Amino acid sequence: MVAPTIASLISSTESGDRGAADALFASLYTELHRLAQRQLARNPSGVTLGATTLLHEAYLDISRREAAFSDRGRFMAYAAKVMRGLIIDYARSRQAQKRGGGFAITSLGTEGGGSPADDKDLSRISDALDELAAVDRELAQIVDLKFFCGFSFAEIAVMRGVSERTVQRRWEKARIYLHRTLRKTSLD
Amino acid sequence: MSALSRERWQAVSPYLDRAIEMAEEERASWLESLRAREPAVAADLEMLLEERSALDREGFLEGSALPPAPASLAGQTIGAYTLVSLIGQGGMGSVWLAQRSDGRFQGQAAIKLLNASLVGRAGEERFRREGSILARLAHPHIARLVDAGVSPGGQPYLVLEHVEGETIDRYCDGKGLDIRARLRLFLDVLAAVAHAHANLIVHRDIKPSNVLVGADGDVKLLDFGIAKLLEGDGSGEATELTREGGRALTPEYAAPEQIAGGTITTATDVYALGILLYLLLTGRHPAEDARGSTADLVRAIVEVVPRRLSDSVANARTIPLQARERNAGLRATSPEGLRRALKGDLDTIVARTLKKNPQERYSSVTALAEDVRRYLENKPISARPDTLAYRAAKFARRHARGVTAAAVTILLIAGLVGFYTARLAAERDRARFQAQKAEKVAQLLTGLLTGADPYETRGKEPTVRSLLDAGAQRIEKELAGEPDLQAEMLTVIGRVYQRLGSPDKARPLLEEAVALGRRAPEPENERVAQSLNDLGVLLRGKGNYAAAGPMLEEALAMRRKLLGPAHPDVAVTLVELGRVYEDQGLEDRAEPLLREALAIRRKTLGEEDHETATSLNELALLLRQRGSTAEAESLFRRVLAIDRKTRGDDHPDVSAALNNLALVAGDRGDYAAAEALSRQALAVSGKALGERHPRRAMQWNNLASALREQGKYDEAASALDEALGIAVPAFGGDHLLTVALKVNLARLHLARGEPANAEPLLRQALEVYKLKLPEKDWRVGSAESLLGAALTKLGRYDEAEPLLLEAGSALPEGPGPRGREARANRERLAALYESWARSEKAAVYR
Repeated sequence: MVAPTIASLISSTESGDRGAADALFASLYTELHRLAQRQLARNPSGVTLGATTLLHEAYLDISRREAAFSDRGRFMAYAAKVMRGLIIDYARSRQAQKRGGGFAITSLGTEGGGSPADDKDLSRISDALDELAAVDRELAQIVDLKFFCGFSFAEIAVMRGVSERTVQRRWEKARIYLHRTLRKTSLD
Repeated sequence: MSALSRERWQAVSPYLDRAIEMAEEERASWLESLRAREPAVAADLEMLLEERSALDREGFLEGSALPPAPASLAGQTIGAYTLVSLIGQGGMGSVWLAQRSDGRFQGQAAIKLLNASLVGRAGEERFRREGSILARLAHPHIARLVDAGVSPGGQPYLVLEHVEGETIDRYCDGKGLDIRARLRLFLDVLAAVAHAHANLIVHRDIKPSNVLVGADGDVKLLDFGIAKLLEGDGSGEATELTREGGRALTPEYAAPEQIAGGTITTATDVYALGILLYLLLTGRHPAEDARGSTADLVRAIVEVVPRRLSDSVANARTIPLQARERNAGLRATSPEGLRRALKGDLDTIVARTLKKNPQERYSSVTALAEDVRRYLENKPISARPDTLAYRAAKFARRHARGVTAAAVTILLIAGLVGFYTARLAAERDRARFQAQKAEKVAQLLTGLLTGADPYETRGKEPTVRSLLDAGAQRIEKELAGEPDLQAEMLTVIGRVYQRLGSPDKARPLLEEAVALGRRAPEPENERVAQSLNDLGVLLRGKGNYAAAGPMLEEALAMRRKLLGPAHPDVAVTLVELGRVYEDQGLEDRAEPLLREALAIRRKTLGEEDHETATSLNELALLLRQRGSTAEAESLFRRVLAIDRKTRGDDHPDVSAALNNLALVAGDRGDYAAAEALSRQALAVSGKALGERHPRRAMQWNNLASALREQGKYDEAASALDEALGIAVPAFGGDHLLTVALKVNLARLHLARGEPANAEPLLRQALEVYKLKLPEKDWRVGSAESLLGAALTKLGRYDEAEPLLLEAGSALPEGPGPRGREARANRERLAALYESWARSEKAAVYR
């Protein structure tokens, strides 16, 4: 049997196929990991990978392979969630072992103030985000794209086909929801 | 443990949207009225708003999940340099501070490590060659490119003069520079660009972040020519990232010819300099209003003439007072002072740089600099202001066939007023503008629009839309002292925009009208009710039911209070609110509203009134959905009789009534009658509307269903062909109606025993549905169910099962056509399990 294409996995996922959702996650994960490894092989002394660059490249790779692939915004929404998984895994392994070779995934925004959350916080934020996704998927996707992948509001607006202001408002709502969730969890 | 249950979150969500958008001072009173109406929602909302102020204090999620500056590359050598520390990360790659390491020279440099994919197919050799040309560019205000190359590891890099400083806009704001000081600084930028142009190098990407100013006030331009270096061999072949909308080209600062793929010349830089100047002088981007999405922005760049500088800082509609004061304060003046300073010569200078046609811009950066200098010296500038006479002359030249500009204008305005009057007359049915009121409004519009300088559209022929835009602006300026009239005009123009299919333009006007009305001494008045009603209709059109519902409920309460319970306007809002519920599948809430509206109309308008018939029809459609087939049928018959009597036998409404009767006949299982009625409907609509009218698509579709149920598959297929032949060009392939036709085509394939043909159609349909419809919409369920059936037939049981189960949860049980889908779905599940040899499960669904 031929391996299903990413495009077909996305559409099956959207028709509610749980199996396809898992397969989609797995193949995107492999894809992103492969790209990261490829960069590493090119530059063995350790390399910084922009999360957004990685996603762009993944999209280019896949759209080159799958001729019918067209919807970049939708692709990014799924891939961003996978990227979060990759980052969390990376953060966990960093917790487990002192950082050595391998790669670091970085944000690309030059003006992103604030300091990066610590690894334990990241896991908790990720869990809260899964809950948010169950309540309001669109909001959760924006957090994946912005916080975990470093896309700007303007870029997200283009991907989602909405105005930048709408993205900002959704981002604001998502933060409120997550903050509430995390605070409640720490109280429980 | 989640923050709020899904239900509570969804209830509070639209209010949270509004609260976030709302100004602080408005919020308290709004919250108070919400508390009175919806105490539970208000409590949740306040809790969330409190959360918001807490997270703002903490800077929650403000950074990024990602470490910004890995130190792993520090100490590496690139060419003759050693990387020291990361300065920044950008779309192109990362920038490092580096130290010269061969000892021959002292000094630091900035090294840009580019993403490999940016170098493009032109390859390393060209990259090096171009780099060495750029490296010859030496000017005190240009950050020098020292070297360009590709490391042995395949890493493309640029070695640049290291510049410390702030971007020019931040520098100016930080120092609070006034207009003249900003212009003097800008002259340094111009000197640098002029020097590069003299060396035949175009920057191509001038924007604030590429213009740094050091603490001593020294200007440096960065990245000269690098956009080209990255672009490819000049044959227009963009590299992947540019083509994919990466950051190599910054749309906000792109000239029209860059967007349109035209020739890039020094005039392209003139344009970008104009945007930079606009930004420095006003604090706003010329396409600020269009920055919502890239598509809007692109359209604005290519088509829309930007607001004049002086208008841009003074526009009270688009810029809140606070922002205007802040922008003026940063320029050491007041909003009015700023407007005055910009009005006149500076307006003219910037307008000339921002011409869409490169040939109409300043012929060179030197010429632009000359005018800026003349302005600073209070001498007359060279650029020609766009005077009325000048623009009129140009306008007339474009209409050389002896038509004078004035005549064109008068014709247009006469046409527009006629258009408004016709609109208003047509809307009277629903909106109930009294006749004399409509006339008053029309008069006022005539006054406004004849008073409006049609050349405000700046060189472009005035269009209905541009006149509307001009009208909307004048309402604000000239009716400032008359909030009542202002609100009324905003409502009228808002509605016209809505009718013209520009809900996004309509919405702020209507919202403003509501806000004005609420500030009136009597905050509950008919006008506010009208605007709320219109806003509700608009939001429903956008699918925002959660926001539309409360608006219409408020409008309804207000109208009942002001007009009494049995007023025709009350009926209008009842119907609209009913539609909102209907769209959400809440038929039981919609039904009493529609019945009440019908009763009001019967009483006030009489039985044989067109609007009474509309109401009857609306109710009948709903009853059909609820499975009250017999009552629906008798109402449809009544509608048909009224329509025939009041409108004649060949009226489109008669055709619609016949079509609806066909549907109920089908519901009863009498497909022969359904077929006959559908054919009658099509005959009437063909005569009344023409063969290709979009409304006929659904009628062909209904005929196809009746034929399919009688086993007349070939006839059904050609009826669907007719339907699609109308719908695809009229609505597009992704329109819900077109998709419904495709679903029906899939149904036909299934009936014919061709499941493989049905599958792709249904997958396409689901893709669109999932984007456009709420998750549990019955149409989603229905398409899933059909897909499940197709897959069952194809023997792909494990794929079919989840679809059918999912469909079961989306399809409501009960009578009516949707209930029929639910029953069909259960049968499909049973069939699945039977073919799958799981008869114990099949029994559950039998």
